[in-house]
Formats: sequence, structure tokens, C-alpha cells
Amino acid sequence: MKQGMNDKHIEMRGVRKVYRFFTLDSVSLALEPGQIMGFVGPNGAGKSTTLRLLMGMISPDAGEIRVLGHEIPKAQAIAKRDIGFVSAEMRLLPHTTLGWHMDFMKSIYPEWDGGYAATLVKRFNLRPEQNARSLSLGEHVKATLLLALARRPRLLILDEPTTGLDPVARHEVISEFMDVLRDESRSILFSSHNTVDVERISDTLTFIDRGRIVDSGDKEAFLDRWRRIQVQLPPGAALPALPNVVKREVDGQFVTLTTNQYSEGLQNLIGPHVTHVHRMNLEEIFVANVMYHREARGQ
Amino acid sequence: MNVVTRKLITKELHVNRWFIVGGALSGIASVLIAATGKTGFNVGALTWLTTVIATGVMLALYGIMNERKEHALEFVLSLPLSIPEYVRAKMLGLTACFLPMWLVSSAAVLLLVFAKDSIPDGLAPYAVLLCVFMLANFTVVLCGSLHAQSEALTSAVIIVTNMGVSIFMFTVGPLPGIEKFMWSPTPAWNSTFWTVLGCELVVLVIAFTLPFFLAARRRDFI
Repeated sequence: MKQGMNDKHIEMRGVRKVYRFFTLDSVSLALEPGQIMGFVGPNGAGKSTTLRLLMGMISPDAGEIRVLGHEIPKAQAIAKRDIGFVSAEMRLLPHTTLGWHMDFMKSIYPEWDGGYAATLVKRFNLRPEQNARSLSLGEHVKATLLLALARRPRLLILDEPTTGLDPVARHEVISEFMDVLRDESRSILFSSHNTVDVERISDTLTFIDRGRIVDSGDKEAFLDRWRRIQVQLPPGAALPALPNVVKREVDGQFVTLTTNQYSEGLQNLIGPHVTHVHRMNLEEIFVANVMYHREARGQ
Repeated sequence: MNVVTRKLITKELHVNRWFIVGGALSGIASVLIAATGKTGFNVGALTWLTTVIATGVMLALYGIMNERKEHALEFVLSLPLSIPEYVRAKMLGLTACFLPMWLVSSAAVLLLVFAKDSIPDGLAPYAVLLCVFMLANFTVVLCGSLHAQSEALTSAVIIVTNMGVSIFMFTVGPLPGIEKFMWSPTPAWNSTFWTVLGCELVVLVIAFTLPFFLAARRRDFI
């Protein structure tokens, strides 16, 4: 094991995966124990590909992947003992019941917590005798989450886990994630294009678009750094050259500036014409960030 | 063999238990029908062939293709196992599902040949070759399904292997070393028999072991 790489729960360095119509390129990300990372990107950005690479279901064409200190895909069997993986697409085995799955998991994982599993069955309003084929989309997601959570894994890798869930079910599921994080040795990598869920539970964020990581960092830092500044210029006046402005929308004398490095210094530079500065929510930051990077890459 | 592989093999036996029981019962019923006379023999032979082929195809379709199509493969691959272990569990598990039905159906055929006076014992070598061919045919279907990445390719494998049964009957039956003794009162375990059996076993061994070397080394399994 390489020095310094065994502390992180996830470490990807320069990972590349080439498909005929899509390339995941130069993906590097790190997840520390006790963190929840929101992995945000539009549809087809490469979120699922990245998570499948982490699970060893597909192999990278280049780069290095380590999960819980184990090299992936080579040592995936060992790493997956401590990983709970759930994706919105994942389904239980047909012709079996949820109860059968619970017994199956119990026979594989010595850490299986039967009491917690029973609690989750009640909380998620599931029935163990229910056949997998008769489960609705939301029930499938809750059932697979139950099977992942009751193993008490050190790392949860969740691919769009709240997709297809109604608001109440989403609330239940997200509350469970928060519970998991009470144990600081655990961590969650949580992909979604639903920025509301991500904003609610994540402490770090990584944005991915068209197969590339466009930004990554602490959630609060993102929310602090990104601002939208509204300016009303007097006739004939022009704005000076401004650093860190990623978008400039002009409508007559009204200018809206989007910055990714807000500071009072920037506001002072604009001068007395600032009419309003407002914080952006995660969705606005995400969209602005993606569009800025697409323009920068000439896409 | 690790615990996850063992559990997955047990899972196959559990999930496919009705195919196993249904296939075995249908195989026995086909042989009983075949024992009722000339017309019954033809009907029974046809249902026996259909039973053995269909059970093999259903196991491959439900065990491999449907698991992939219905996104249950992601669940299986999220378990603590590697791709080679998954392939091993599939090959051993589905073969373990097919074998009881095949053994019961094959034993019933041989019992019919040796016990029924109106059926000459000379038919036994051909019956043995047909039974072993059906087993080899199943391993080819299994091997093809594990390597095929699309439903269309799996369907093609199934069609080709089904055609293989007809080809077997039309080519092995007329072989002089087989046809000449087929209706004789005693079986002839001659060199033709052993050559054909050898060929079948070679196909069986290749089809059974190929996934351990090729499918198990696939870089992407989803």
C-alpha cells in the first residue's frame, strides 16, 4: 500500500474510461472518513460510470483507484466487504422476497444488524414477505438501502438513491444517511442531480460534467464564494475589468455578475453602483459552474 | 471457494427450484409417455427433447440474461466478490440446477431402453450420446450467455444450439457404427460410439471452462 493513500476512504487519480460515445477523463477525487460528498452532475455526466469504477464493476483504462485502502478493481472483493452500494437502477433478485434477501445478506455479512434491519423495515413501510417483482420503484430503492445500511458498512456509495422517491420517502432516507454519519469513521459518496438533497446532507461537493470533474470542495465554501451581484450603471458608465467573474449578463444599464470568488474587495472594485448581492443556492451554483466550464472548454 | 460464491450457488438452486423440479418431472413424464407404444414413443421423445432443451435455455435466460436486463446484476456485483468469482458462481450454480433434471431424465431414458422389451437395447449407445449431447449443448448455451453482452446475441446462441440438436440427430444417427446396431438386441459400445462421445466431452469441457478464462477476465461486466 502506498504511503498516505490508506487514510482516505476513496481516492481516484487521473482515472480515464473510454466508451464509443463517451469518455470519462482525468477524474480525481478523494473522500475522507466521516464525510458526505455530494457528487453532482447532469444526466449523462459520468456519475454512474465513476461509481461503477469505484465498485470494480468496470475497469479504468488509465489511472488509479483505491477504496478503503484497497486497489480497485484488483482487490474489489475485499473492499466491498465494507461498502454498501445502492443505485436507483438496482433491483432485487427476481423470484425472491425481501425477507429472503435479508437472510441472504445476514449469511454473507457477519456485521449484519438484524435489529436495525427490522427497524428500517418498519420505518420504510416494507413487508419482508413481499416478492421483489411486486415492489414499486420507491420500495425497491428503500429495500436496497435497507440491505446496504443494515450491514453497517464503513462506506456508502449511492447512485441517485432518492430518484423516484416521494418527498416523505426522501426525507426518511436522508434522515437515515444523517444517522449513519453519527459514526465518524463512516462516509458517504452520494451522486445526484437533485441539488436540494445534496445541499441538505453533503459537507463536500464535487461537480462533474461531460466526463470531467469541473469543481470540488467544501459545501460551505462553495456557498460563500459564489454570489450574484446586481449593478445599475449610470448612462455612459462602464464596469472596470473584474477578476473572478464567470458570467456577465447585460440588460441596458442593468448588469448581473456571477462570481466564484466573492469578496468585499470585488464589491469595492465595482464601486457604488451595486444594488444587490445575493447568495446563490446549490442549483444556481451548479448550473453557473457547469456553464462556465463548458464555455472555458469551448463546448 | 469462498462463502459468497457458495451462497450464490445456493441462491441459484433456490431461485430455480421450480425449473429443476418441473424439468425432472416433465422428463420422467415424457419417458412414461414414450413407454405407451409407437405413437407414444414419438410424442414422448419429442417432449423429452423439448423439456431438456427448454430447461437449459430457461436457466440461462433467467439466470444470466434476466439478471442483467432487470438490473439485479448490479445487486450481485455489489456483494464482496470479484468478477472471476461471479463467473464461477454462475457456471457452477446454473450447472448444479441443470444436472438433477438432466440426470433424472437421462436415467429415465436408459431405464426405458433397458426395461421395455419393445425397445431394443441396441438403442442405448445412441441414447447415451444424445443425453451427453444435451449436457454439452447446455454448457454451450451457458458459455454463450455469459459472454454475450446483448439479448440479440444470447438469442442467436440459443437458436444455434437448438439447431445443433437437429444436426446431431441427422448426422450421428445415420453413422454406420451407430445406425447398424441401433435396432439390435444388444448395445454396441464400438469405436464410433467412443469417438462421438469423446467429441461431445471435448465440447463440454471447452464450453464449461472457457468462461473461467474469458468471461472472468472481462474488464467491464455491466
